[in-house]
Amino acid sequence: MQLAGYSAAVLLRAGGLLAAFVVVMYILRLRRRPVSVPFAPLWRRVLRDKESTSLIARLKRWLSLLLQLAIVTALLFALGDPRADVRHEAARHIVVLVDASGSMKAVDVPKGPAAERATKTRLGAAKLQLGRWVGGLGGDDRMLIAQVDAAITPLSTMTEEKVELDEAIERLQASDVRADFDRAFAFALDALRGRTRPEVVVLSDGAIGRVAVDAARLAAVKLSYAKVGSRGRNVAVTSLSVRRYPLDKSRYEVLVEVSNTHDRDEVVKLELYGDGQLTDIVNLRIRAGENLSRFYPNLSGAARMLEARVRLRSGEADDLPSDDRAYALLPERRRARVQLVSRGNMYLDAALLLDEYLEVSKVRPDEYPLQGSFDVTIFDSVDLPRTSETGHVLYLNPPSGEHAPFEVGKTIKSDRRYTIGFDEVKTKHPIVRHLMLADVNVAKARALKGNKRSRAIGKSFRGTLLLAGRDAGRKYVALGFDVRDSDLPLRIAWPLFIVNVIDDFLDEDTRYVSSLRTGEVWKLPVAGKGALATLELPSGAEKVLPVDQGRAVYLGQTAGVYGLSMGAGEPIQRFAANMASPEESAILPVDSLELGGKVAAAVEGFGGSSKRRWWFLALLAVLGVVALEWLSYHRRVTV
Amino acid sequence: MGLRELFGSRGSRKGRAKAKADDLFDEEFQRKLDYLAMVSRRVFSGTMRAERRTKKTGAGVEFADHREYAAGDDFRYLDWHAYGRLDRLLLRLFEEEEDLSIYFIVDCSASMGFDDGRKLAYAKRLCAALAYVGLANLDRVSIVTAHSELAARMEPTRNKRRIFRIFEFLRGVEADGETDIEAVMRSFVARHKRRGLAVVISDLYDPAGYERGVNVLRYNKFEPFVLHVTDPRDAEPNARGDIMLYDCETGEEREVTVTRTVLARYAEAYERYLKSVERFCTRRQLSYFRADVDQPFEELILRVFRRGGFLR
Repeated sequence: MQLAGYSAAVLLRAGGLLAAFVVVMYILRLRRRPVSVPFAPLWRRVLRDKESTSLIARLKRWLSLLLQLAIVTALLFALGDPRADVRHEAARHIVVLVDASGSMKAVDVPKGPAAERATKTRLGAAKLQLGRWVGGLGGDDRMLIAQVDAAITPLSTMTEEKVELDEAIERLQASDVRADFDRAFAFALDALRGRTRPEVVVLSDGAIGRVAVDAARLAAVKLSYAKVGSRGRNVAVTSLSVRRYPLDKSRYEVLVEVSNTHDRDEVVKLELYGDGQLTDIVNLRIRAGENLSRFYPNLSGAARMLEARVRLRSGEADDLPSDDRAYALLPERRRARVQLVSRGNMYLDAALLLDEYLEVSKVRPDEYPLQGSFDVTIFDSVDLPRTSETGHVLYLNPPSGEHAPFEVGKTIKSDRRYTIGFDEVKTKHPIVRHLMLADVNVAKARALKGNKRSRAIGKSFRGTLLLAGRDAGRKYVALGFDVRDSDLPLRIAWPLFIVNVIDDFLDEDTRYVSSLRTGEVWKLPVAGKGALATLELPSGAEKVLPVDQGRAVYLGQTAGVYGLSMGAGEPIQRFAANMASPEESAILPVDSLELGGKVAAAVEGFGGSSKRRWWFLALLAVLGVVALEWLSYHRRVTV
Repeated sequence: MGLRELFGSRGSRKGRAKAKADDLFDEEFQRKLDYLAMVSRRVFSGTMRAERRTKKTGAGVEFADHREYAAGDDFRYLDWHAYGRLDRLLLRLFEEEEDLSIYFIVDCSASMGFDDGRKLAYAKRLCAALAYVGLANLDRVSIVTAHSELAARMEPTRNKRRIFRIFEFLRGVEADGETDIEAVMRSFVARHKRRGLAVVISDLYDPAGYERGVNVLRYNKFEPFVLHVTDPRDAEPNARGDIMLYDCETGEEREVTVTRTVLARYAEAYERYLKSVERFCTRRQLSYFRADVDQPFEELILRVFRRGGFLR
């Protein structure tokens, strides 16, 4: 005979507790109701014969106790679901991988019982389903519940304790990320190593992408799949980025990508908000499966935050509201102080006039340095020492390297055979981004020679012409010729070069990322020193992050606007995060799952739940009756 | 002359005020006393007088009996006719006439106060009614209350006007203490040298037994008159299941499981007890009446009159 219900260990524990409880109740002295009589000797005469039967009466109570213990034993035995004809099978070990990716926030669970509809989201329906499985878990079967999002998070141990499993179900939470099922399966297979009757159950909508799994190990494990969700009508903002124009940073341009992951065309309304104010609204027709980009050039007005919203023009809600919005933050603008040390250079003056956010202070070499601190100092054809207030330095045509962190070589000149120019350019460096320097002609120049902490950005065959490096914690850039000895000032590249250099000095370059992607590990640069930073989540909650090499590290899993600071009173650095995943926005549930050449079977083996629930109710009923009997008879409440 | 007329305005004013304050001896009760007193005269007219003759022999004029002559007897009472016929000296005995003393011994133990004091209230009414009839017959009436000892005593009195004193006395009686009839009777006979009718009004719930107490009266030449106050509720206790019985007088506790069988047996035992009391009194030719509290007290009084023994 085997117990298909609760295990013998659980039943023995429960039986011990219940038996102890019943015995203690019986050990309690019988509380008799006091009754006054006028003449007790009359009773004495009557009870003279009764005395001889008191032992029998006591035995009757013992019989009652034994009866109750027998009832308890029988009920516990029944809870064990004994089956005489069941072949002995080892305990199942089940790892349930619950998809907690962004698509599990879809609200397409209209079918099924009312309780399932009340949960609204796919994850809610998954929790209900998982709760039923836990309730129907076999006697010795054990289960481990793991949440799969950007990471794999085991929420319980491999246990048969339903309380622990129910608590794990309660902790399940969906996030705005793609689920990493590669690691999830690796974890599940590791957890099932050496276990009897191993089984992996995937509870998901099936949008798990291509999964790299060890087919050999998976073959030894039973793979089951339970689909959650029914529809896939969804439009999403799958990309939003913004950047300021390099030459006019009060203006910016925005790129929005809208996707329709449904299998039919949709007409959507795309709205763009700047700092909460509606900036643009447009109706778009998107074909099934199409990704549609929309470019908004030359925008102005918003100071900080942009938000793109997409909705169906019909007014209906799609099945996944969480990807209908995306956020982006514009880079912060601040007025930079520039000290120009020059004997006069009209081309340079003109280039600096282009950026209205520059506060330029000119000074002749013999009056250098000016009072105050500067973000950038430009030495134009002068060689002067730097001070603590100099800031980053741009050397233009340095006459000598006496006060510079590099060496200045001999003068080189163009001749008939060779015109000096930029024969080699590190085009990925930010100071030469968007520049065409290859056809610049230079009459004469000085070759520059840097050190280990510098990098040659532009070279001619006769020597380095453009150098960038870092010295004493400050950046510097050196151009080895006077621009008036070249045709560079006649090109658009010249003012862009000046703007690029200053932006690079101020970290305001065009590499700025207007929003991060959820599901990735963010390494967020922090201003200031300290080992810990405080991250304000979109929900308003705060989290303390460790800071490593000037960067706070965090696995972002929720879309929205975050704030990062080094503590109370410190400036808060804002940034936005979006799911921005067309794969995760494709929420049409998959009917079957195939992994490593193995097709997942339907979930089975949790059928005992309803039976055991009835037994549980029966147990409660019997306990109630026993308690009533005890109160009524033993404690004489009603008699 | 009725009770109210007898006491005129004083009795009517104060009596009414007190009657209002105490339901036990209200105006209705006093009317019944008048009625009982009148009925008692009619029933026993011709044979009943305002005097009562005792069995005491001596200076009376009515022949009672003979006895053998003993040295020292008064020669004047020798029956010479009998000597002539029988050749034996016999002395003639005469009944001596004197006032009858009626003593009411009211049990005021805790058992009489059981269940809202129904028995004690009934006993008080019986006592008052019989006392009034006695006073109306010019007898000397005295009342004592007792539990394990004599509790209170009202001096012998006669004349109907004293009935309100009796009311007052009875109003002050409250149930308390254990029952010890023998001790009470011994104390009673020691204190009352004048013999007479001793009306015992009690439920006779004495753990030591009532018999000795009654016999004490008999042996001391009192005429015991037993009014056994019973309550039907005593035979049908409201007890079921496992209960803790305790005696309302002694506090004696007893754990018992009461079933229908037990209740039936208790009822039988109770009935046997009542019969044993009646048998005891009958065998000793004592006047015995069972006074059921559910029975109107005037019916009981009339039954007492008809049986005789209380008034002669």
